[in-house]
Amino acid sequence: MTPLNKMAPGQKGKVVGFTDDSAVSRRLMEMGLVPGRSVLYLRNAPLRDPMEIQVGNSCLSLRRAEASLVTVEVDEQ
Amino acid sequence: MGITAKRDSAADSQTIAICGNPNSGKTTIFNAITGLNQKVGNYSGVTVEKVSGHFNSPSGSHKYTLVDIPGTYSLAAFSPDEYIAASALYGGLEDEKIPDAIICVMDATNLERSLYLFLQAIQVGKPMVMALNMVDLAERKEMKIDYVRLSEELCGIPVVPIVGNQGKGLDELKRRVDEIAARPVIADCHHYDDEVEQLISYLQAAGGLDRRTRAEYMRIVFDVQGPAEQKFFRQVNDDSVREMLDNGRTRLKEKFGSLSAAETKSLTDRAAAICRDVTTQSPQRSKSNSERMDKLLLHRVMGPLILVMVMVLVFQSIFSWSEPFMNFIDESFHNLAAIVGASMADGPLRSLITDGVIGGVGSVLIFIPQIVILFVFISFLEDSGYMARAAFLVDRMFRWCGLSGKAFIPLLSSFACAVPGIMATRTIEDRKLRFITILVAPLMSCSARLPVYIIMITAFIPHQKVMGLLNLQGLILTLLYAMGIVVAVLVSFVLKKTLFRTEAGTFLMEMPSYKVPTLRATMVRVTIRVKAFVVRAGTVILAITIIIWALSYFPRSSFADYNYDRGVLQLEQGAEARRLQLNGRLLTLMAMNGSELSGLYDSLVVVLNAGENEPQLRQLSSQFTFETPARADLLRNVIEMRSIEFRRQAALVQLANKRAGESLANSYFGRVGRLIEPVFEPLGWDWKISMAVLASFPAREVMIATLGTIYNLGGEVDESSSSLIAKMRQARRDSGSRVGEKVFNPAVALSIVVFFALCCQCGATLVTIKNETSRWIYPIATFTYMTVLAYGMAAAVYNISVWSGLG
Repeated sequence: MTPLNKMAPGQKGKVVGFTDDSAVSRRLMEMGLVPGRSVLYLRNAPLRDPMEIQVGNSCLSLRRAEASLVTVEVDEQ
Repeated sequence: MGITAKRDSAADSQTIAICGNPNSGKTTIFNAITGLNQKVGNYSGVTVEKVSGHFNSPSGSHKYTLVDIPGTYSLAAFSPDEYIAASALYGGLEDEKIPDAIICVMDATNLERSLYLFLQAIQVGKPMVMALNMVDLAERKEMKIDYVRLSEELCGIPVVPIVGNQGKGLDELKRRVDEIAARPVIADCHHYDDEVEQLISYLQAAGGLDRRTRAEYMRIVFDVQGPAEQKFFRQVNDDSVREMLDNGRTRLKEKFGSLSAAETKSLTDRAAAICRDVTTQSPQRSKSNSERMDKLLLHRVMGPLILVMVMVLVFQSIFSWSEPFMNFIDESFHNLAAIVGASMADGPLRSLITDGVIGGVGSVLIFIPQIVILFVFISFLEDSGYMARAAFLVDRMFRWCGLSGKAFIPLLSSFACAVPGIMATRTIEDRKLRFITILVAPLMSCSARLPVYIIMITAFIPHQKVMGLLNLQGLILTLLYAMGIVVAVLVSFVLKKTLFRTEAGTFLMEMPSYKVPTLRATMVRVTIRVKAFVVRAGTVILAITIIIWALSYFPRSSFADYNYDRGVLQLEQGAEARRLQLNGRLLTLMAMNGSELSGLYDSLVVVLNAGENEPQLRQLSSQFTFETPARADLLRNVIEMRSIEFRRQAALVQLANKRAGESLANSYFGRVGRLIEPVFEPLGWDWKISMAVLASFPAREVMIATLGTIYNLGGEVDESSSSLIAKMRQARRDSGSRVGEKVFNPAVALSIVVFFALCCQCGATLVTIKNETSRWIYPIATFTYMTVLAYGMAAAVYNISVWSGLG
């Protein structure tokens, strides 16, 4: 289990949970990052931050600090 | 599973709220139904105001009020924008009525995300219609949605497939609204975990008979210390209820890991389940198209490079594409003034119409081509989905200087106009970051500055290539825009380190799929902006122009008129005397040489009178060479006779110009101008420029109109040069220590454009800042810092330019 921001671009994983119950975590859940969903880490912005991920059908951009709130289980390749 | 309620028999029109996610096409549908045009964008949060309109039921028997709720993903308030949206929908605002029915606009290509909001909106407990938008895009993605099944899953709520930007399905939507308004079927079809439901029943009992909807109770349960909870306990001040709520929340946290998860998991799981049931999707082709484009457009190196190239392209084309159109409009106005002028008697009225109205307003209206090009680009970038990518690319950089990538959209909109730009800052959740963005937004060069830039650059910056590729004029224009950005960066950096210390908010944003913007949507947006520009030119600018004209026309100077009349008299007398003298000489010549010379005289007159000015006359006469002294003498005399007329005409124009100049200098405008001239001396301006700049503080377009008026009235130049640019090029100083020097040169032009780039000469912007921040101190601060900055930078640029030889 690792924080989302520690994954590498191109990797897939499954959301396990959140490290806090803040408004940011809540918004991440509303955007589809709920426990059990799989995420695909698409890419970083030119300066490595923010990052883009795919959850379900949609692509989201978020900063690394926000991504660090999400705990994921990285899929075996 | 439905409850049928009786129709409200109230005579007043029923209120229908239209809600949806950002980018769901909600505003397009709203515009199409009500006929009220409004901005349509592809970036989160373009709709930030409460906008409403009316429409009649298809049968014509009922009138409905349609309220456009700002785009939101959830009813949980996260930003001020979303709190307004959410509470307007669920009835949390004291002075707003709860809508009688709700239209929820869904993005068919992203059904799952849209369903999240839909399932929350159901909790309001009002009849609903689902407007399933962009079904054409979904089909193109080979995604099939079973509409009947979808409606069944949502206990019979009508589902209307729509293609909003083509107007397809809107009549059906209106009919369905009419239907549910007549026979409201309230769908009650999302239940949470038992723990949540028990808590809500308990709170409802404690709240008694109030107008709170189920959706508002949801917010009381799930938003800890949120506005809904605070409002509830102001009314129900009971510690046992508080304790019950706290205990319930603790149990939910234990069960779901967090309180938010108790709501979001239930809703997202349900949304996903519905989606699975009603859609069949083949492999995502379109998604992968978007993905392929992102590989290039968001590439580490290519992405930023393309962004810069797009910006340069925009500003270069504003210059190069608009020229022929501008020339056409310029000529048309000049001809109009000539026709009107010829049909009126000389006097104040003719001067008001030709110099004031046509000269002033016309010189603003010729910038329509630029405005069109700018807005075609801006709407293309917004509607295609590229804006969100641009925000993604620049976020890290923006954070260095104290802003968020989300500020990119408000700031980019400010290039068109700071007013919508400042309004768009409502999507920035962090209050301090939002205020910083508002304070620097007016530094972006808006479209109203463009006319001033264009005219100064066209007139005084040489038309040449730099490095064999870039147009120097376009380069200067790009630099002006860049300067606004750089100054904004520095100002926000300072603000963040001093007055607005804050952490960098969040950057949670959905990346919309790329879309090809429709011609129709682009046309609508361009037309709205051009109309606004023309209306502004026809009202505020016209009014100020007339005041400026009056101030520069009155009082008439009898001294100038006297000088003029005396000058004309002297001139005519002198010319007449000279003509008589020449006539005598010619008669003598012909008397001495007989009929041979008089034949030659006639043909010389015919040939030489074809020359319309001095050089032409010289050229025509050079074809004759005569041997005999008598013939040569005759030629000299004929030439002289003709050039007397030319000199007379030139002297008359000069006298008229002198009178006009003296009158203007003597007018109220001129008197005040001379008084304030020293203030702007360090910027290299004469009193006319200074006055034109002062006059343009309420609205900066006035600058060009004022220059147009005073250079028409001032009569600085001969009549053959009609355009304002030509007049400015020839204008000379008529007061101060540098009388007779040219007023304008590259250094003066640069100092003017730099001043305009940095100064906040816009009443509308200042009022908007007041409205958005609800304190007067912010517009006052904005105005003060920008004016000081503009003065300082303009003086610096002027002196550096003079020093480097551009003066």
